[in-house]
Amino acid sequence: MKKIVILGAGIAGHTAALHAKRILGKSVEVIVISPNSKWNWIPSNIWVGVGKMQPDQVTFPLAPIYKRKGITFHQALAKNIHPEGDTTTANGYVEISFTDPTRSGEVAKIEYDFLVNATGPKLNFAATEGLGPDGHTVSVCTSGHAVEAASALTEIIAKLKTGARQRLAIGVGHGTCTCEGAAFEYTFNVEHELRAAGVRDFADIYYITNEYELGDFGVGGMVFTQSGFETTSKLWTESLFRERGIHAILGAHVEKVTPGEIHYEQVDGAKGILSFDFAMLLPPFRGVDLKAFDKTGADISEKIFAPSGFMKVDADYTAKPFEDWRAEDWPKTYCNPSYPNIFAVGIAFAPPHQISRPRKSPNGTLIAPSPPRTGMPSGIMGKHAILSIKELITKGPNAVLPSASMADMGAACVASAGSGLREGSAAAMTMYPIVPDYIKYPGSGRSAPDTFGEIGLSGHWIKLLLHYMFIYKAKARLGWSLIPE
Amino acid sequence: MNSADDVIAQAPLPTPATLKARKNLFFQFWRFVVINLRMIKMIRKGHHPMERH
Repeated sequence: MKKIVILGAGIAGHTAALHAKRILGKSVEVIVISPNSKWNWIPSNIWVGVGKMQPDQVTFPLAPIYKRKGITFHQALAKNIHPEGDTTTANGYVEISFTDPTRSGEVAKIEYDFLVNATGPKLNFAATEGLGPDGHTVSVCTSGHAVEAASALTEIIAKLKTGARQRLAIGVGHGTCTCEGAAFEYTFNVEHELRAAGVRDFADIYYITNEYELGDFGVGGMVFTQSGFETTSKLWTESLFRERGIHAILGAHVEKVTPGEIHYEQVDGAKGILSFDFAMLLPPFRGVDLKAFDKTGADISEKIFAPSGFMKVDADYTAKPFEDWRAEDWPKTYCNPSYPNIFAVGIAFAPPHQISRPRKSPNGTLIAPSPPRTGMPSGIMGKHAILSIKELITKGPNAVLPSASMADMGAACVASAGSGLREGSAAAMTMYPIVPDYIKYPGSGRSAPDTFGEIGLSGHWIKLLLHYMFIYKAKARLGWSLIPE
Repeated sequence: MNSADDVIAQAPLPTPATLKARKNLFFQFWRFVVINLRMIKMIRKGHHPMERH
């Protein structure tokens, strides 16, 4: 019986685990290793962060689901990968350290025939001095962080109700952050809550971002067709900012955060300080602290991981100017080039380059939104890794593997701009493909009929529908596999 | 850089009719159906596991 070990139980890892058991059944043993005991529908953390949802509405325990599906679950942290085994075994294995409170301190070696690395990111708050829950800002990256953010926001609303003017800063806390869409969502949800509380007039809201223009979202912006005209996500987003009276600081790298002050540098080299009473800044991501060793015990981490800590896959990592980047540089199978039985999916794979044009300030500071690869693309990659493993098991090492390039995959992004079944709002956007292909789609690099955006209450309903639908799917309830990733 | 706030100040504002349409239950239900159908079409375009590399 072949062993498939999956590191991580987020959208990519959990999707891979469920499909592995569905597609390969009893012919394989599926083992999931995750330091967290719960699955989290991260897009809805935004609503936890404004107090509209409780953590148990966006999370659920993984163990009962895996028990029901016949999947082995270890609540543990993967520390080291030994893809060649060692002097005692020729099988690849992973060294893990249990985080399960009942097995705390225990370590184990888990052998595998196939490894799917879906660890997600390390939230790198340390990259910016004073950033994060241990510093001077809040976050909505985890449901726990979002609870703290909601609590801080409640305090701000209480102060606003006394008539005290307050400044709220929301955005990203480093020049190389990703997930600008989440910061955008949180900005507009906070604005919505302040209006609902009747205190909007006393609040100044600032959106601080590494995006060069509004509407970039780390994907270089989008071109939409609306009412017979081509418009851009830039103009569309600026309109929303004007309508809601939100200030913006663009092309910014946050250098440090001190109590009540964000110190930043912009693309033109200008430095500034933004004072705040409340700040939610997302951290940059890097790969988790995984190491790799060869048969002799020599450290081969540089061979299989990029300097960012993310795992190398079948992408073209050749350094070249932005203008020379091509859609075909992006990975198709997510297979590690050194070890073809290892896959890296979701945030865990190293992207070959940014999608949004990277820029440097005159001082040499890199201000470059990293490519988003969460949500829908993560799920598709997780499923495709399993389809590839099936091919390798049934047809051998020369099997032709299925392709799932982000340059041939669309994404739907529903950015909430306030909750409420009648008062809610969201910007519903889709793009196809995620990575622009300027050869296939001259001009914008994307298919015009499949790239669109619309703001309204219907967007909120869609976001709510996705919340319930994906939690249903993740719980592997009847018909779960019919719901697309 | 140009001040972002100066750029935002030049952006088009939605008309009162547009703002009303964004909250109108009947119109939004129609848009809900249309957007979902467009999303399904886009998703189907991206889900083609039989395409080989």
